[in-house]
Amino acid sequence: MLAQQLVNGLTVGSLYALMALGLTMVYGVLRVLHIAHAAVFTLGAYAGLAGFGLTGSFWLALAAAMLAAVAAGLAMERWVYWPLLGQPPIATLIASIGLFIGLEEVYRIVAGPQPYAFQVPLGLGDVRLGPVLVTAPQLLVMLVTAVLLGALWLFLTHTALGLALRAVSQDRDMAAACAMNVRTVVRLNFALGSALAGAAGMLVGIYYNSVSPTMGDIAGYKGLAIIVLGGLGSIPGTVLGGLVVGVAETLLIGIVEVPFPRDAWAFLAMIAVFLLRPQGLLGR
Amino acid sequence: MNRWTTLGVSVLVVLALGMGGLPAAAQDPIKIGFFAPLTGFAAADGASARHSAEIAVEEINAAGGLRGRSVELVVYDDRHNSNEAVALANKLVERDRVVGVVSGSYSMPSRVTAPIFARAGVPMVVGYAVHPDVTKAGSCIFRNGYLGQVEGGAAAESAVTRQKARRIAVLTVDNDFGRVTSAAFIERARRLGAEIVSEQVFKLGEKEFGPYLTRLQGQPLDLIFHTSYYNEGAQIVRKARELGLTAALEGTEGIDSPKFLELAGPAAEGVTFTTNLNRDDPRPEVQSFLKKYQAKAGVGADMVGASTYDAVKILAHGIQEGGTEARAICQAIANLRDYPAVTGRIVRFTKGEVTKPVQVQIVRDGKIRSFATIDNPEVITPPVQ
Repeated sequence: MLAQQLVNGLTVGSLYALMALGLTMVYGVLRVLHIAHAAVFTLGAYAGLAGFGLTGSFWLALAAAMLAAVAAGLAMERWVYWPLLGQPPIATLIASIGLFIGLEEVYRIVAGPQPYAFQVPLGLGDVRLGPVLVTAPQLLVMLVTAVLLGALWLFLTHTALGLALRAVSQDRDMAAACAMNVRTVVRLNFALGSALAGAAGMLVGIYYNSVSPTMGDIAGYKGLAIIVLGGLGSIPGTVLGGLVVGVAETLLIGIVEVPFPRDAWAFLAMIAVFLLRPQGLLGR
Repeated sequence: MNRWTTLGVSVLVVLALGMGGLPAAAQDPIKIGFFAPLTGFAAADGASARHSAEIAVEEINAAGGLRGRSVELVVYDDRHNSNEAVALANKLVERDRVVGVVSGSYSMPSRVTAPIFARAGVPMVVGYAVHPDVTKAGSCIFRNGYLGQVEGGAAAESAVTRQKARRIAVLTVDNDFGRVTSAAFIERARRLGAEIVSEQVFKLGEKEFGPYLTRLQGQPLDLIFHTSYYNEGAQIVRKARELGLTAALEGTEGIDSPKFLELAGPAAEGVTFTTNLNRDDPRPEVQSFLKKYQAKAGVGADMVGASTYDAVKILAHGIQEGGTEARAICQAIANLRDYPAVTGRIVRFTKGEVTKPVQVQIVRDGKIRSFATIDNPEVITPPVQ
């Protein structure tokens, strides 16, 4: 049962990681908490649903989800975050929260308050490894996450743009002084983070067969706990943080059975990190 | 010219009055207050309640209104927010001066407003809110839905007596409805000789049931009983089937919604649940309501809608029999016997709580059909002294 619960936990953890990466990347370059990232995640789910309805193809739908998310992320950067840069961080934070609430209401008005089903014939079978069962939706989530994370890693470590992105994340002013176009890098950052969130939104929609205006709520606030746990701005730390939270929650419910709401654990972990290791698991 | 205009207008007015055909036009309409969560997370249920209340009022007015006066529904949105609910309750009492109130809302808004209506002497009929305190706020509050104790007991009858389950696992949503209903289920199931092999509690809004259901793998299990709403219920049945659990799945009125079928997909097949709306009930009042709801809302009717429809009709019955004075309305509703509601024949109200058979429905070929009717008086009589 432990192995089975690990599979459950890793699936959820993959989704957390995918969602939280954009948060940590934006924090890395702009030092703002991008609460509205959760609205980008939800948009990805709706766009994926619409894309699948129109094309009937999982991959085209995934592309639609990621493109819509990129567009939304870039628009937010252009009209909210960049103009507010240099204001006290609280201004950006409040704008971001306002944006998140506003967008959720827009989704509700446009798509209606009720959840939509998101059924996709996966073309994958269940995989049985001894006593452990990896169901087709779990397999899909883990495969897509692995591919996207692998692509992100290659981009960051093997391309000039990736290097620029890491440089801006380490020290924006110094990067600017080295004649890097910081604005372009910031935009790239928003685009990448949003694309991952859009993909995560669509995967969550398929995994739970449910797309609704408020689906970003839990993902949003748990994302904050995860990026703190991993080390604010640290990309490997966020992946680790997402997996740790996903697995820990699952084991605590599935093995120990503690009578405590699962969503609280991520925040207990966050508080513990603040007290014991403020830079996070893999932070500098 | 002027004279002709005046004459024309007068003729139009007379025609309009004549066509309306209601002597009520001369009198003010009878105002019935109504509230439901029309926006926010519960908006789908709010919409269902509102459509159904409107159908009830349209029918009443088409049949000539109440005591010769037309009926007007005064609709408010409680947003499932207690501050909002208190404010609208005061508005209904002081500004709108309604004759009676129907709650098309959940327990929380119903519970905070009940004492306000009780104090103001406004009769209240609650569609489907389950919290026991709602009816305790005053002597003129009636509930059309079952108490959790009744529903849990009936679900146990269905599980153990009808579906012959011996080994049962229970999944409980962590709120009043879930706790009370599951406790009643467990008590009755044990008394009927079944063994409860697992009790787990999850929080409202939970999506990931892998951890809970993986615990149930690899042991003999006849049935999983879950108190849940359609979002969680759909995740439970999908995950259970995904993980290869073959036990029967029984839920409650919380999953009585076309959305459950949609979100659960093929996994919904064979799922049973307790509710008060029997879609296969041949009585004309039921079939007529189902048809009207489908036409108005574009989807099939659910428990929330049918219960709210009945609540309006019960209040209207009280007004028709007793008049517009609160005490007479209460007396008339309390005196109801064998009343043909859409959600089953109401035997009577006892201290505001209803006695009527509990329906068990089953999903067959993607449709909600009748499975059983639980009418054991020991189970369906509300536990009030």
